[in-house]
Amino acid sequence: MRNTYLWFLQLITGILIAVLLGIHMALMHLDVILGFFGVDATKATSWESMIERSNQGIWAGLYIALLAVVLYHALNGLRKVILELTPSARAERVTTWVIVAFGIVTFVWCSYVPIALLSA
Amino acid sequence: MDENNPIIFKVQRYDPEHDGIPHFQEFMVPSSRYMTVLDGLLYIKENLDSSLAFRTSCRMAICGSCGMLINNYPHLACHTQIEEFHSDTLTVKPLPNLPIIKDLVVDLIPFFNTHKSIKPYILRQDAGEMGNPTAEYAQEPHALEAFLQFTYCIKCGICISACPTSASDRLFLGPQALSQCYRYCADNRDGGEKERFPVVDSDHGVWHCHLAGACSEACPKGVDPALAIQLLKRRMVSRAVALGKKQQPSSTAPSPAETKPKLPFPEFTVK
Amino acid sequence: MRQIQPRRNYLGAVGWLWAGNYKVERYLYILHRVTGLGILLFLLLHLIMTTVFRIQGQDVWETTMAVLHNPWFKIGEYLVVIAFAYHALNGLRLILQELGFLMVRPAPSIYPYRDSLRKKRSWTMAMIAVVVILALVFFYDLVAGGW
Repeated sequence: MRNTYLWFLQLITGILIAVLLGIHMALMHLDVILGFFGVDATKATSWESMIERSNQGIWAGLYIALLAVVLYHALNGLRKVILELTPSARAERVTTWVIVAFGIVTFVWCSYVPIALLSA
Repeated sequence: MDENNPIIFKVQRYDPEHDGIPHFQEFMVPSSRYMTVLDGLLYIKENLDSSLAFRTSCRMAICGSCGMLINNYPHLACHTQIEEFHSDTLTVKPLPNLPIIKDLVVDLIPFFNTHKSIKPYILRQDAGEMGNPTAEYAQEPHALEAFLQFTYCIKCGICISACPTSASDRLFLGPQALSQCYRYCADNRDGGEKERFPVVDSDHGVWHCHLAGACSEACPKGVDPALAIQLLKRRMVSRAVALGKKQQPSSTAPSPAETKPKLPFPEFTVK
Repeated sequence: MRQIQPRRNYLGAVGWLWAGNYKVERYLYILHRVTGLGILLFLLLHLIMTTVFRIQGQDVWETTMAVLHNPWFKIGEYLVVIAFAYHALNGLRLILQELGFLMVRPAPSIYPYRDSLRKKRSWTMAMIAVVVILALVFFYDLVAGGW
C-alpha cells in the first residue's frame, strides 16, 4: 500500500502548507490589511527585518518545517505528472531517484542556511 | 430536417490495408425527425459506401458497441439524435485513447484485459460453498444500494476516451476498471479486497485519478465512475491507516423456514 | 487472416488540456496541475534567492530587492499568490471530494443523468468565489501598499 501512504501524506502536507504558507503569504503581501489589525508587517523583505528573523529560533523552525512539507508535496506532485507521461520502466526509476536525490540535497542545503545564520 | 435538407456526415476513414493516414470523407444523408446518428451511419453503409466500418448491435444503449466521438464529444451513436446538435454537419470520429482498427472501429482488447486484471468477480474463501452452492448469499436491499449504480456499466469505453489521464498514460487502469474494482469491493458478498488492492495501488493505478470528472459526465448510463473511484480511494486510505473495520463477506441466507414467521391460517369465510 | 496492427490513437498530454466539449470541472483539474508546476518553478527561484543571495551579505541582497521592485516582478509575484490561492482552495475541495465527503450517496441514476460532481457544483462555485475574493484582497493590498 505504498502509493496509498504517499498520497495520504500528500493530503496531510497539503493541509499543512495551506496553513503555513498562508501565514507566510499574509505576512509578506498583506501589510496594509494586517496594519488594520495592528500587526506591523511592513518592510518584511528589508535587510533589518531579515536579520531580526534570522536570530529567532521560532522563525528558523517554521521555515524549515514549511520547506519540508513543500518539498515533499511539490516533488511528489512532479513525480506523478512525469509518470503520467508513461516513460519506460527504466526512465521511471531514474526519475524517482533523481527527484528523491534533488529533494534531499535541497532540504539539507536550505535548512542548513537558517540554522547557520541562527548561530552567527 | 426533411429530405430537402440533408445532413452532412464528416466521417473519419482509415483503411490500414490501403492508406496509412486517417482522413475525413463527407456523405449527404437525408434525415428526419428522431433519426439517430446510428441510423445515419447505417444509411451510409447501405446506400453510399458499404466499406464504412463501425460496430453496432442492440441499437438501444445497452450493448455498448457504438461509442464514437460525435461533434467532439463521446456518445453512443444509437442513443444520440441528429436533431440534438442543431447543426447541418456532424463530425464522426472513433473514440480517442483506444487504438483504431479501421474507420470507426477501435480495439477493445486492451480495455477488456485491464478490466480482467482487477478480478471482476466475487472472491471468497469458502470454496466448498462456491463450488457446490446450497443457498444464496444474504444481501439486504440497503447493502445492494451501496454498489448497484456501478453495476450498470455496459463497457462501452466512453469513460476511457474522456479521462485526461488515459490520454497520456498508457498503463493507467482507467475509470471503468477502477469503478468495477469498487463495485466488487463494496459488494457485501465479496471478500477479495486484499487481492484487488495491490493491483490498483500500483504506480499507474487509482492514485493517478485526479477527479477531472469527465468520465462521469460522458457516461451514457449514469454509472458515475468518478464517484466509485473516490469511494475506492476512501476505502483504501481507511485500510491503510487502520480506520474502520473490514466487514466479513456475508454468509449464506438462512432458509425461509427460519426467517419467515408462521402466520396462522385464516378463518374460512364460507362454512 | 492477416494481422493488422491497430493504429495508436492516444491524445497524449494535449488530452489533458482538451479532449472534447467537456464541462468546467475537467479544466479545474488541469489548472490545478498548471498552478502546482508554476509554484514549483517559483519555489526553486525563491529558494536560491533566500539562501545563495542571502548569505552573500547586505549589498547583494539590497541590489536584488531593488531589481525586484520592478512592477513586472510585482505582477509576477501577484500571479504566484493567486496561483497558490487557487491551488490551496481547489486542493481542499479535492481532499474532501476524493475522500468521498462532498459526494453523493450511490443510488441508481434516473435519466437525465447528473453525476456527483455536477450535483455538488455549488461547492465548487463557492470555492471559486473564495479564490476570487482572495485575489481581490491581495490586489487591494498590492495597490494600496505601493507597487
